[in-house]
Amino acid sequence: MAGQEDEHDPILDDKKEAEAKSEVCVGGGERDMAPSTSGTSIHRSGSRPQLDLSKAEIQGNLEERDPTILLPNQSDDISHLALDIGGSLIKLLYFSRHEDYSNDGDKRKRTIKERLGITNGNLRSYPVLGGRLHFVKFETHKINECLDFIHSKQLHRRDPYPWSSKTLPLGTGVIKVTGGGAYKFADLFKERLGVSIEKEDEMHCLVSGANFLLKAIRHEAFTHMEGEKEFVQIDPNDLYPYLLVNVGSGVSIIKVDGEGKFERVSGTNVGGGTYWGLGRLLTKCKSFDELLELSQKGDNSAIDMLVGDIYGGMDYSKIGLSASTIASSFGKAISENKELDDYRPEDISLSLLRMISYNIGQISYLNALRFGLKRIFFGGFFIRGHAYTMDTISFAVHFWSKGEMQAMFLRHEGFLGALGAFMSYEKHGLDDLMSHQLVERFPMGAPYTGGNIHGPPLGDLNEKISWMEKFVRRGTEITAPVPMTPSKTTGLGGFEVPSSRGSALRSDASALNVGVLHFVPTLEVFPLLADPKTYEPNTIDLSDQGEREYWLKVLSEHLPDLVDTAVASEGGTEDAKRRGDAFARAFSAHLARLMEEPAAYGKLGLANLLELREECLREFQFVDAYRSIKQRENEASLAVLPDLLEELDSMSEEARLLTLIEGVLAANIFDWGSRACVDLYHKGTIIEIYRMSRNKMQRPWRVDDFDAFKERMLGSGGKQPHRHKRALLFVDNSGADVILGMLPLAREFLRRGTEVVLVANSLPALNDVTAMELPDIVAGAAKHCDILRRAAEMGGLLVDAMVNPGDGSKKDSTSAPLMVVENGCGSPCIDLRQVSSELAAAAKDADLVVLEGMGRALHTNFNAQFKCEALKLAMVKNQRLAEKLIKGNIYDCVCRYEPPSL
Amino acid sequence: MDSTQKISHLALDIGGTLIKLVYFSANGDYSEESRNGCSVVHGKLCFAKFETRKIDDCLEFIRFNILHHSGVQHPNGEALDKLYVKATGGGAFKFADLFKEKLGILFDKEDEMHSLVGGVNFLLKTVPREAFTYLDGQKEFVKIDHNDLYPYLLVNIGSGVSMIKVDGDGKYERISGTSLGGGTFLGLGKLLTKCKSFDELLELSHHGNNRVIDMLVGDIYGGTDYSKIGLSSTAIASSFGKAISDGKELEDYQPEDVARSLLRMISNNIGQIAYLNALRFGLKRIFFGGFFIRGLEYTMDTISVAVHFWSRGEAKAMFLRHEGFLGALGAFTSYNNQSHNDLKPHHHTVQRAILNCSGDNLRHIPVTSNLNDSETIECSINLV
Repeated sequence: MAGQEDEHDPILDDKKEAEAKSEVCVGGGERDMAPSTSGTSIHRSGSRPQLDLSKAEIQGNLEERDPTILLPNQSDDISHLALDIGGSLIKLLYFSRHEDYSNDGDKRKRTIKERLGITNGNLRSYPVLGGRLHFVKFETHKINECLDFIHSKQLHRRDPYPWSSKTLPLGTGVIKVTGGGAYKFADLFKERLGVSIEKEDEMHCLVSGANFLLKAIRHEAFTHMEGEKEFVQIDPNDLYPYLLVNVGSGVSIIKVDGEGKFERVSGTNVGGGTYWGLGRLLTKCKSFDELLELSQKGDNSAIDMLVGDIYGGMDYSKIGLSASTIASSFGKAISENKELDDYRPEDISLSLLRMISYNIGQISYLNALRFGLKRIFFGGFFIRGHAYTMDTISFAVHFWSKGEMQAMFLRHEGFLGALGAFMSYEKHGLDDLMSHQLVERFPMGAPYTGGNIHGPPLGDLNEKISWMEKFVRRGTEITAPVPMTPSKTTGLGGFEVPSSRGSALRSDASALNVGVLHFVPTLEVFPLLADPKTYEPNTIDLSDQGEREYWLKVLSEHLPDLVDTAVASEGGTEDAKRRGDAFARAFSAHLARLMEEPAAYGKLGLANLLELREECLREFQFVDAYRSIKQRENEASLAVLPDLLEELDSMSEEARLLTLIEGVLAANIFDWGSRACVDLYHKGTIIEIYRMSRNKMQRPWRVDDFDAFKERMLGSGGKQPHRHKRALLFVDNSGADVILGMLPLAREFLRRGTEVVLVANSLPALNDVTAMELPDIVAGAAKHCDILRRAAEMGGLLVDAMVNPGDGSKKDSTSAPLMVVENGCGSPCIDLRQVSSELAAAAKDADLVVLEGMGRALHTNFNAQFKCEALKLAMVKNQRLAEKLIKGNIYDCVCRYEPPSL
Repeated sequence: MDSTQKISHLALDIGGTLIKLVYFSANGDYSEESRNGCSVVHGKLCFAKFETRKIDDCLEFIRFNILHHSGVQHPNGEALDKLYVKATGGGAFKFADLFKEKLGILFDKEDEMHSLVGGVNFLLKTVPREAFTYLDGQKEFVKIDHNDLYPYLLVNIGSGVSMIKVDGDGKYERISGTSLGGGTFLGLGKLLTKCKSFDELLELSHHGNNRVIDMLVGDIYGGTDYSKIGLSSTAIASSFGKAISDGKELEDYQPEDVARSLLRMISNNIGQIAYLNALRFGLKRIFFGGFFIRGLEYTMDTISVAVHFWSRGEAKAMFLRHEGFLGALGAFTSYNNQSHNDLKPHHHTVQRAILNCSGDNLRHIPVTSNLNDSETIECSINLV
């Protein structure tokens, strides 16, 4: 590359320099020009000034956990980007790398990996890195905003391989672009950014984008009937063939038979361009969105000739036409002596919309029929998440196919082309991506603007907070939809929620929100799931309105306590208060958004909701809100552990087992996620509560399989059962829950020679114990107990304390190991389709899974079936859940033992 | 109209936009010969149409030109003032009271679809040189083998569009339709061009150029074809798609161009949906009828091109010379059916004429000039 550059006409090069300089002025201002940094492998003549990229990257670089679509982060390590430049919108997709937080240098971790036999099972010839896919939209007529954005993030200077952080010299970059604008703006890109555009075939991009989404993203597709979205899980192995209908200016109908195997079988010239073109002429609307907006207030019967108009209000039932069926679009405009001005633009817009949507649905149906296809996916800018459009198309497909076919839509529909262009990079690193490796996150701006970008990219936390504050200040223009928080919470400065009705912040209620796709290659499907295909983590169906409203309210009511705790965890400083305030606003806005449009973020489950809260906290840099509470409770619990162990050791085997299970259930009362328990905390000390709780344990519990579990553990009729080889204990809360409940149970398994793996969260969530914290807790407990000490040594948990761990383990080689692995989540719930590779590896030899706590055993996984034995233990600390799930009451207990599922 | 002609029979098709009339006009001498105890009357089937919104004109026409000539009586022998006339179309319901009040006519309602199919079957079986194809400005009559008529697809383009699969006499099914029809053309056309009538709008479209306002494939791909998927640069990618970006107001466009784009949009769409439905049932022949066609060459051409394009030449669009009067004709011929049911040997009235549908007695007046809506079919009827 450098060689080629040198051959260039020097005059031309001078011109480039000038351009580079002007870019700096436009783009950054504060960035300095500096001679080429010599540390890179780029060989260039020193006479040619270059942007000092490394410096630019460091500037304003606060450590940032979650870049957002809305407020893109300067500090992202961005790999590459692709664009789809359409007539009205530019869709931009870029990939940023994760900083690799898993630290393989950690001796403890390495020991566990060795123990579990984890090797780098990567078969690829190039490294796969985690990262995030960001989706951004710009209006085409504001292409300069898009160019500024690319420039500000230096997206165009990246080597187009995700694992390469190499920056490219100016003038050598190539960007993959699809859409009609690829040609039109090629010169502009060259001029402004010094990059060449490589034009990718539109249809090819569409198809590969759709294939990627349908395979890699769970619940990407949804149906839309009568205003209700329903997410559909498509089996990636049973995806083809399908019909892809792209409704842009015109309509392309494509039959897709496989990866790269597709054919444009049909199309129609009556498409989005017709709607917008005719609509503009007839209504004088200035924008497509304005026209769509109008249609929502329209009545098409004012201008369409309905069957009823012809048959004097009667149906033509003989051929199945109801009186409200449109017999002739715009047919009424014939017979009345009205001028264009006599019709309401709203009615015209709706008539047009119905005419075109219905026609597209019909022609698509006829083509699907022709090829025997049952699934039709609709995408393209005309759809734009617009509820009425989707309804009309769905209705047409449903009507004509007599319910045999389904019209489906894609959450990322606007980004099909851009995704496809992205995939057209030779090695984009996403080819074999599996849905379990993708996690979608919705940043703080999502409730306000969805995937749209407004304003300049924000660099740091402070700007994020100001952004939130600014919106709250503008609250007068914005009417709040549903008050989500009771008035008592206004102590934090008010939780006014921006609504969907204002002008500037209007978020079309039906708009599709697209989050940031986090690509975590280390995530795997939990191997012990009986049937991952049918596995559904969430127990409660939040698509039920009553449930949804209840849980949204619970979260809303819990918010003030959470904010207090979070602010206190950071020392209650002014900065912490400000962040707490912004967090409360942002999370309230999420809740309000979901209240209004439950499907805004895709299929909604309680697990997602709880995770959203944790993510939102992290976004405002509350790393661990319950840190001090957890520490305090751990200390208090460790202090009473020796007494408890002594008590246990004095019991018969049978009595001990029951006491242990009682202990787990009793200790599970310590849960800061439960409103009822938070109230309890104010009434007594941890130990008092624990004792009280245990004393109250009365069998039979509401769900009581203890006898079956006991028989499995102790045998019956003198028959000695085989011991479990390895038990995975999914632990819940810090403090008494893990120390007085789960550790003693772990100890029991260990003393029977069963290997124990404690499975804990990777990131903090409420007062849940994390995998990072567990080794210290175990070490604390091991001081009082030889069984735990030997096992912990075997499991490599006490390496720091040992002078020579290898010798130690030889001496006590009789003990089964106690290990700790992270589960890959940062939420109180666990979706077993996405767990850490460590956990997946640990699961391989396991024959027992113990799930403990509401989040992991009730809210999620209550109905999960495993290939091995499973024990689900929890105290129900919510009256409604108790009624719903076990027809019981608050503080009832669940002890569910299940043999392996076939 | 020749005052010596006796008008004895009438059927109406009252649509959302137009009222179509078919009536029999005898040549004057009632019976020439007697056959099977029936007298045969020679005469013509005449056709007339009115705009539905000008229904009063229609009422006047019937009063003066039809009723005047015949004191028609219903076969059931009811009082003379209870005059039953076959009527079809949505208006048969809507305007029943009006006809009763103004003319004393009661509608004997015939199912719309049934009438339509009856009319087409009648035409295809009895009138030679009724069907023709139209491609590249060339009209070509098609000889239909009566024994190989079925099944076919009938596309009736009225205000809306009905698509009917016809399997035989009285054997048919409405399999599809679209709301983008003649009503859409005229309705949108009126709003966009301020034209007052269908004919005016059609006339306008003759002189227009759709490239001004339609987005063509070439507009998107910089003048080149998207040959990879078989789209030529002149194919319409998006009807009215250019109106998006031009920054022009409605007034800045020539009404001619707008009318042309509209006509192409609707014709093309109908052609495509018709083809897809023909394909679905393996039908090779598609007949297009209804007032939208009107023998207008450009319309027929667009529809033919659409069918030809989508079927890759496998399916043919065909048109009928009497396309505007299918329903009315069907209603008219249904007198025949009914007569068999009602036939009472002693009930001989001059007024009760039955059209003999065997082609022998029916002769079409050859036309040399353009098709004409009021073109008559010479025929004879049996008087029972």
